Amino acid sequence: MEKVECIVVGGGLAGLVAAYGLAREGVEVMVLERGNYAGAKNVTGGRLYMRPLRRIYPELWDDMPFERPVARELITMLGDGAATTVELASERLSGPSPQSYTIQRAKLDQWLADKATAAGAMVVTDMKADELLRDGERVIGVRAGGDEVGAEVTIIAEGVLGLLSGGAGLREQPRAADHAVGFKEIIELPPGVIEDRWRLNEGEGAAQLFMGDVTRGMTGGGFLYTNRASIALGVVVSMEQMRTRSDELESWELLDAFKEAAQIKPLVRGGELAEYSAHAVFEGGIDKLPRSYGAGYLLAGEAAGFALNALVTVRGMDLAIASGWAAARAALAARAAGDSSAAALAVYERFLRETFVMRAMEAGRGVPRAIENRRLFSEYPGAVARLLEGFFAVDDESSATLVRTSLRGARREFLKIDTLKDLWSLRKV
Amino acid sequence: MDIAVCVKTNPDLQLMRVKDRAPVLEAVPFKVGDLDKNALEAALLLRDAAGDGRVVAVTVSEGDRKIRETMKEALAIGADEAVIVSDPALDQSDQAGVALALAGAIGKAGPFDLVLFGEGSTDGYSGQVPSRVAELLGLPEIGYARSLQSTGAVLRAERSMGESIETLETALPAAVTVVSEINEPRIPSLMNIMKAGKKPVVEYALGDLALDAAAVAPRRAVRSNLAEEQSRKHVLFDGEPAAQAEALINALVAEGVLGR
Ligand SMILES: Cc1cc2nc3c(=O)[nH]c(=O)nc-3n(C[C@H](O)[C@H](O)[C@H](O)COP(=O)(O)OP(=O)(O)OC[C@H]3O[C@@H](n4cnc5c(N)ncnc54)[C@H](O)[C@@H]3O)c2cc1C
Repeated sequence: MEKVECIVVGGGLAGLVAAYGLAREGVEVMVLERGNYAGAKNVTGGRLYMRPLRRIYPELWDDMPFERPVARELITMLGDGAATTVELASERLSGPSPQSYTIQRAKLDQWLADKATAAGAMVVTDMKADELLRDGERVIGVRAGGDEVGAEVTIIAEGVLGLLSGGAGLREQPRAADHAVGFKEIIELPPGVIEDRWRLNEGEGAAQLFMGDVTRGMTGGGFLYTNRASIALGVVVSMEQMRTRSDELESWELLDAFKEAAQIKPLVRGGELAEYSAHAVFEGGIDKLPRSYGAGYLLAGEAAGFALNALVTVRGMDLAIASGWAAARAALAARAAGDSSAAALAVYERFLRETFVMRAMEAGRGVPRAIENRRLFSEYPGAVARLLEGFFAVDDESSATLVRTSLRGARREFLKIDTLKDLWSLRKV
Repeated sequence: MDIAVCVKTNPDLQLMRVKDRAPVLEAVPFKVGDLDKNALEAALLLRDAAGDGRVVAVTVSEGDRKIRETMKEALAIGADEAVIVSDPALDQSDQAGVALALAGAIGKAGPFDLVLFGEGSTDGYSGQVPSRVAELLGLPEIGYARSLQSTGAVLRAERSMGESIETLETALPAAVTVVSEINEPRIPSLMNIMKAGKKPVVEYALGDLALDAAAVAPRRAVRSNLAEEQSRKHVLFDGEPAAQAEALINALVAEGVLGR
């Protein structure tokens, strides 16, 4: 059997960063990616949180192909035929070291693949890993395209669902209850139009998140990220809640309806649809993480459950990158020790804890339970709008009584025991 | 049997979009041309039938580092070696310039018993380069072969003439272009992809081939390669089918398309 030192399954962010980290230390590493090219199969919303990543391979990020640094954050609650938007523009969001960037995976992943290749990794596209080869407990390589290739360490970075690792019994089979499904369109708009519509300085970007009617009260939300010359518009919704609906609603219809909503239409006006995609995302949280290592293998990125769905934002790319880095370090440590047993690879957990990956997962511990609460997505968006409408309303009553009415309204809508409980459950989000 | 196969790398057309009548090349990876893979497959079969020899994939590039990665595809499919003529001046070259560079590289990396081409490239599809190279190298050329057999000294090619099949024989060395029916190109196995990384890749600059930027400079300029845009009148007729037909005929007569 042909052998290499390391095999990486999956040319997504986790896999490519792991390969880069190994190749730059002279390790013979081969990435297997089933897509036509790195990034071909990958769907994301579009925002990469960069701040914690800059410490990881600082030399890597200088020429990262980002779309726009996010300088304006908007959260829009849709309900009861109304939209309430909270908006933040701050120098601390963008500035010299922006907190987050919008990105497109086709570009980002190919760029990373080039970096890994230049460092000496072999990135094989159009090549699906069909099976993990085992020797007892130990993973000893993969079968792909009819050939078997052995490896001292196999890094499994196959993304959400983990069909390969699940098939080999390294993790449980995926459950709908732990996943959301996302639909996304790329809609092309001229850069100037984007800057006008979201009131941005040239080159800056906006992130707008939506909750409420967009998911018909189900857990999830809508997102809109501005790329350089397009916007990414999408909906993420709980798979389980979607699956157990009694009506005929199909999840993709949510996106169509979202686009047609009166408050969204002017945002996409004149745009040209360039791309459509759909993908699952893990939202089981830290309690559902599989064991991330074993004899001869490591799980990295979303295959290891590293993704967070916090109310309306999904975070997975930064966790994928950081865990890819940690996986490379663990494999390097195993190589230095000449030992790739489960005990030796257990250092992976330590490296993960050293990065923000485990801290972020820990901080999101309560999220899965909290966002199961449908009131967040069904009642509150409308209630907020009604409250504000009370303030803005002009009618026969005197303004004094108006304020009193609004306050009464506010008490009615929010001063309920459930609301207090909900607030309590959200304190960690 | 030593065979040179000329290949052109081009954007993966399946992944390319067209916007405002222009291709969007951003994030579109390059690959070896479709028909060039047929030529490569034909070369591998001839080499293996002969029992010895080598297959060398030859290409030109404007100097992009990624060309080496793209040429790995040819090596993974089975070429023994890759030759790249790499020079920024080649970016603008037309078929004449490209043929000069290819002929120079084939002359330098050779001698070869056979030079194979696809009948045209996936993107430009002018089909000129093979004949130009054959002329520069002083080789007899057979175009559009749908089967090839070699007895060592003689090469027999069949080509489809529509109604009939023509069988041609030539002494070697010779140049041949192939059509897609000739074979089904193999998909490289993982093992062969892994081996490809270790196969030799030779790079020539124009100077190595006694050429320079002026020699490969384009001699003609392409003003446009867009199909002519036709404006439509968008006339719709309502009513009963018979009335619609009548109205349509009248409109066509009025346009002068039909005479009555
Ligand atoms: C709609 C949506 C919106 C999101 N928005 C955001 C966001 O704004 N910000 C954010 O940070 N995160 C977001 N996420 C999450 C984020 O995209 C993922 O968590 C992240 O991409 C995971 O990276 P990864 O490298 O682990 O896996 P992936 O990027 O999924 O890469 C896995 C790779 O493995 C390959 N592969 C799988 N199986 C095999 C096999 N058997 N053989 C060979 N190759 C294989 C796949 O083709 C793929 O290229 C979003 C997700 C979705 C679905």
